[in-house]
Amino acid sequence: MAFELGIYHFGELAPDPVTGRPPTPGVRIRELIEQAKVADQAGLDIFAVGEHHRGDFAVSAPAVVLAAMAENTRDIKLSSAVSVLSSDDPVRVFQQFATLDLISGGRAEIIAGRGSYIESFPLFGYDLNDYSELFADKLDLLLKLRAENPVTWQGTTRPALHEADVSPQPEREIPLWVAVGGTPASVVRAAQLGLPMALAIIGGSYRRFAPFADLYRQAAAQFGHDAGTLKLSINSPGFLAPTHRGAIEVSHPYFESGWMANHHQRGQGVPMPLAAYEAQSTRAGAFFLGSPQEVTDKILDQWELFHHDRVTIQMGFGNVPQREMLRSIELLGTEVAPVVRKEIASRQESAEGNR
Amino acid sequence: MSAPLRVVAVVGTTRSVSKTKALAELIISRLAAHADISAEVIEIHALTPGLGAAVEREQLDERAEAAIRAAESADLLIAATPVFRGSYSGLFKHFFDFVGQYALAGKPVLLVATGGSDRHAMVIDQALRPLFGFFQAWTAPMGVYLSSGDFDGTTVLNPEAYERIEVAVNDVLPVARLLAAAQAQPAAAAN
Repeated sequence: MAFELGIYHFGELAPDPVTGRPPTPGVRIRELIEQAKVADQAGLDIFAVGEHHRGDFAVSAPAVVLAAMAENTRDIKLSSAVSVLSSDDPVRVFQQFATLDLISGGRAEIIAGRGSYIESFPLFGYDLNDYSELFADKLDLLLKLRAENPVTWQGTTRPALHEADVSPQPEREIPLWVAVGGTPASVVRAAQLGLPMALAIIGGSYRRFAPFADLYRQAAAQFGHDAGTLKLSINSPGFLAPTHRGAIEVSHPYFESGWMANHHQRGQGVPMPLAAYEAQSTRAGAFFLGSPQEVTDKILDQWELFHHDRVTIQMGFGNVPQREMLRSIELLGTEVAPVVRKEIASRQESAEGNR
Repeated sequence: MSAPLRVVAVVGTTRSVSKTKALAELIISRLAAHADISAEVIEIHALTPGLGAAVEREQLDERAEAAIRAAESADLLIAATPVFRGSYSGLFKHFFDFVGQYALAGKPVLLVATGGSDRHAMVIDQALRPLFGFFQAWTAPMGVYLSSGDFDGTTVLNPEAYERIEVAVNDVLPVARLLAAAQAQPAAAAN
């Protein structure tokens, strides 16, 4: 299968660095839908939307937003990033994404994760202390729901199901990925279940994550899965403009605003100085930040390390203005994606030839 | 208008291309973003053989003597060292062995270190802090320790490192300003 490129967005409502005011949720959500449309037209493979339960994010119901995107797009896959499964009902998640899959003609995907925010736990009546058990138990049910209908299941964190009829049923198996931040146990869980893994690298040196990819494939093989068929995706922030300087200068103030809203020390947002941001754009840094050529080079560098199948970019974090966002999406779709797909296909071919 | 804050970084590295030096310079750039400063970076390797050959302070050559005076007269000292054989480098300690016993008393000092892995992180509190405790210096509560994984070459990549630097800089600046102003006052009164 061809290498896939896409975008993920949390629908954050970061204060505009100029006016100090965040966009309204309505404006933000409609911008997201337009971004998905442009991503589809530019030939990108996937658009994913996060789930956060806090006033500074517009999207808590990704399936609803993705459904609107489905009606405005033709080919692009539509995914959550992530479905916070621990504090949700897997039956409801399955129903929503089955519905999305039917609406979109088989383009729905779920990336399930434990999430890095905690607000959803009290909101839905869960104890944060149980987050790990909740995730494991609910992931188990979601897999069962995907595998059979009617479904019979027993777990530890919600009532058992006996011959339950869950509707609607999708016309295919909906792809289900497991999102992993930096916990080796999460890597092993994804490997044990034989599920594709989405690895989030939100800064620093991406090479530090190579052991996670190795662990994933080794563990999968030990659990009896064909590690060669298991998919891996790399997920990092980024932004593209025609030039390196342009990409940095346009996006930095917005990124810093979003960063300050989400990264606290002693209860206060800490800035991300320009030097820190620019460091992420260097060849060894994790962000897909720069000119199309630079981003192409970084994806190809990473492929030599990870041999991954997909890259998604958290583009323009912190509410980069829509005009620049759409241009960045177009650059990724029209200048980066074709080169990357072709080059990786040829590298794969020559690797096969050498076997 | 008060004079710029005199910041002196003593970098205990043995090479001119150094993560420790890069980190000290990054911290200086963040200090400069928040305050009016003048900065000097003293690289210990550049002071040899004058520094290394001396046993008594009188034996130091002009260059090494000037460097030690700069450290003694700084408003804010950045003490930065790589971890060598489990601690600060020998030359780094050799430098401070020449510093006057009370020359750093009450002086704000920011402790900075780099090492090959996170296992050396305690060098800040278990090696550097006792040394400046001897000098009765005012060591900032938060030190900055980075390991090689936080860098690409001499570029600091880890965003959390930048956060830590920001907090450390914001902690130490008000103290350094206050102490510098207190020291300047007698001179101002004499005018």
